[in-house]
Amino acid sequence: MARIANAAALAAYRKQQRALRPAERKAIAVCAGTGCKAFGGLEVFEAFRAALDAHGLAKTWDLRATGCHGFCERGPLVLFFPEGRLYQRVKPEDVEEIVTRTLLGGEVLERLLYQDPVTGARHEKEHDIPFYRHQRRLVLAQNGQIDPTSLDDYLVLGGYGGLVKALGMDPAAVVAEVKRAGLRGRGGAGFPTGVKWEICRAAQADQRYVICNADEGDPGAFMDRSVIEGNPHLVLEGMLIGAYAIGASQGHVYIRQEYPLAVERLELALAQARALGLLGQDILGSGFSFDVHVSRGGGAFVCGEESAMIASLEGRRGVPRRRPPYPAAQGLHGKPTNINNVETWATVPIILEKGADWFAAIGTAGSKGTKIFSLVGKVNNTGLVEVPMGITLREIVEVIGGGIPGGKAFKAVQTGGPSGGCLPAEKLDVAVDFDSLVREGAMMGSGGMIVMDEDTCMVDVARYFLGFLKFESCGNCTSCRDGLEQLHALVTDIAEGRATSGTLDLLEELAETIRATSLCALGTTAVNPVQSTLRYFRHEYEAHIRDGRCPAKVCKALIHFSINDKCTGCTLCAKNCPQKCITGERKALHVIDQARCIKCGICRDVCKFAAVDVQ
Amino acid sequence: MGCRTCELACSFVHSRAGALGRPRIRIHAQGRGLEAGVIKDRYLQLTCLQCAEAACAKVCPTQALVRDETTRAIVLVAERCIGCGLCEAACPFGHMHFDRQIRLPLKCDLCGGSPACARFCPHHALEIRP
Amino acid sequence: MSIRLWIDDREVLAEPGERILEVAQRQGISIPTLCHHPALPVLGACRVCLVEVQQGKRREITTACNTLVQEGMRVATDTAEVRGHRAMNLELLRARAPEAPAVRELATQLGVARSRFRPPAQNPLPNCILCELCVRACAHLGHHALAAVGRGDKKRIGLPHNRPAEACVGCGSCLSVCPTRCILLKETATTRTIWGQTFELVRCKSCGAPVMTEAQRAHAIRTKQLPEDHDDTCELCKQSAASQRLASVVW
Repeated sequence: MARIANAAALAAYRKQQRALRPAERKAIAVCAGTGCKAFGGLEVFEAFRAALDAHGLAKTWDLRATGCHGFCERGPLVLFFPEGRLYQRVKPEDVEEIVTRTLLGGEVLERLLYQDPVTGARHEKEHDIPFYRHQRRLVLAQNGQIDPTSLDDYLVLGGYGGLVKALGMDPAAVVAEVKRAGLRGRGGAGFPTGVKWEICRAAQADQRYVICNADEGDPGAFMDRSVIEGNPHLVLEGMLIGAYAIGASQGHVYIRQEYPLAVERLELALAQARALGLLGQDILGSGFSFDVHVSRGGGAFVCGEESAMIASLEGRRGVPRRRPPYPAAQGLHGKPTNINNVETWATVPIILEKGADWFAAIGTAGSKGTKIFSLVGKVNNTGLVEVPMGITLREIVEVIGGGIPGGKAFKAVQTGGPSGGCLPAEKLDVAVDFDSLVREGAMMGSGGMIVMDEDTCMVDVARYFLGFLKFESCGNCTSCRDGLEQLHALVTDIAEGRATSGTLDLLEELAETIRATSLCALGTTAVNPVQSTLRYFRHEYEAHIRDGRCPAKVCKALIHFSINDKCTGCTLCAKNCPQKCITGERKALHVIDQARCIKCGICRDVCKFAAVDVQ
Repeated sequence: MGCRTCELACSFVHSRAGALGRPRIRIHAQGRGLEAGVIKDRYLQLTCLQCAEAACAKVCPTQALVRDETTRAIVLVAERCIGCGLCEAACPFGHMHFDRQIRLPLKCDLCGGSPACARFCPHHALEIRP
Repeated sequence: MSIRLWIDDREVLAEPGERILEVAQRQGISIPTLCHHPALPVLGACRVCLVEVQQGKRREITTACNTLVQEGMRVATDTAEVRGHRAMNLELLRARAPEAPAVRELATQLGVARSRFRPPAQNPLPNCILCELCVRACAHLGHHALAAVGRGDKKRIGLPHNRPAEACVGCGSCLSVCPTRCILLKETATTRTIWGQTFELVRCKSCGAPVMTEAQRAHAIRTKQLPEDHDDTCELCKQSAASQRLASVVW
């Protein structure tokens, strides 16, 4: 591939590529995102390749392994173009039948279609499935269509069109466009992106940097990973536009070492862009020069904080520093630096391509556009969802997420990652935007969304997140390092029945000091899990302390298992007990030795007669 | 005379927590000798020379030894000292002593302009001249 | 151009780049600190020098040591809220360093008679408050032998990779700046042991008294802090030598 000299040459190249694959051309997109891969997506892909070859269809059908389609719960997913038919839970054994009956016979295989668990209706087209129908996919729009290892795929769908547009504008006008779009940082804090760019651009310097924050550290979050794995050029294009607007000639992507596929895709995308002249000197003849370096982080959660990230990039210990001075004034190597999250960068080309007004029409007054969430936990449709700002939590959980599995009752939804807040059922109609969530004691965060059902103990939830955060604190501030450890110890006391009447007061007093006096956002938000659960589920804490009872029957120190008279003496529980502490004759009532029971709950799970009680 | 009142006075004014400080001035006996026809004990008093180009101040990594503009003495700004002990090694005359207990150097500070050694000398053998 | 701000309702002028703590101290306003050292880079670790800062509509509790002064800033150093948070952080430190006099005294001053918390689970260096003054002093001297290791509740101070560090010269500055004096330093007539490493001492060539470690002398000579022909005598022997030289001139 030769270097492309200017915008006209790029347009010509794009046209040539489009001619090779017209929109009506038939294609099979097998999801090769991390979730589908785990379900065997790559085997399905290989099976398709073999079957297409065997049937001589390799020339009529395009076969692509794509990035994450989002509906991880139903993987492996296979999407057929141009009609948009979706087969789910596809196994390699299904492929031969799909090729003969669907591709050749034009028949729809009912059993591979998505079935609505409530209505029982089957949906043939992807966009008819409630999980997709209520989403608004901008950033993820192309994930199901393009092969992430192909720059041509990206170009055919209009890729780098935003860059071409930006290069034709004055850099200040690009900043103004992003400002007008009302884009706010997707990393969690929600700072207006255009304003951030403007400040960095205004700083006097001989060198400026842009950084892409791909240090996605929230447990259960995989938005950024999926965007980079599925559409790396979109992120790169965003960085190019930002660098042009700000006047930066060097970019860095700080990405987790634990994301090897994303790193590989990104490195490949960079090499492709360099070869085509979309990175390097005098990009598209505009005089603008820019390149990107990928740096891998060692997996410290705190390195997602921008000043810690800069320290890490400079080869120092990843510890946040006091701001101001902000990175926009003094960042990497002391130079003005603009840091945006993966999703923010990926949104930029869309704004340039479609215009600020089009973008600003989506969302609410204060929060524009869409936001990707990784919807996980006790919800039917786990996966990656992109929704317009202002959608209610209820729509996400009940409609897109399909409600709670097993007929259980919804209890809480936690947004904003480990330092987010837990909102109860009565807050389900809260609009999902930056300001509303903060008002309710939660936060947008980078997009983790964990659904909890009635079997979840909120004290246990708080303890879990505190355990994560006390481990991931950089350890600099007394309040965060020692405070979180002590807070965790206090919550553990409550969960294990050691708490006294004064514990809750001390807990609240300590939480407030941690929030008020820690240096960075890790510390100041780390108490959210405790403060929000205290705000909405105080009665659960009180039940643990006052009555020595865990209402959700989770906290092991406060529960015990016993066998009731429904027991038929089938011996299944005794056979499965890891402690071998269940005794009883065949066809006679069994008994659990409380002294040796470790409360693992296996007896309850294996019992077919609901004969195991938890008190 | 060798009464060492100056050493005592110095120790006294540099007391710390009720304990006498280590004197920054010392009397060194130099045997006996003939002076104006009389055999006398010979003594020399030695204390910091407040050198123009003070080795102690020059070696200090934190600029904790600075010249007091009024007294012209090199004085320790204890808050800036990180207790590395280099000043003790650097002084060619032995007038810096690094105290291993308090981990700070001890040096003559001219008592802020009115040195106790001179004030208390019963023989007026010490005086301070600009 | 000077910056005008108010500290405890007192109008104060400061220079750009100055921090609240130094400006307040210049005004004679005392703010308690544990991890601050005027000659070393600021870290903001102990969270004791808290003040309330009002800047425009933004009001926050923050640390005076590392907060840059800004035009129109209003700082309050002694509000009930500030005292409460200082006391809580001291209470946390008191659980970590129960025997450190500096912590105990400051805690008592701030009304923390005892700590309601248990000692932290991981505390390999008893009474260390992890303020990193030792690390900063060591780096300032150019040795970089000490480091904060690990993170979160497992953070500790030590030699990198927990292995003997060639960079350490055994100078003991780490102990000198340690507010809790928790670093172990043992000296015999001929050796000094610190951070588990034993150093040979240079001994006075006249009287044999220990002077400094061989490694510190070598480092100081290499970095030209001391002359190549540095005289290995203790300070008293240096004085004696000087007095003899003087005597030979006078008499």
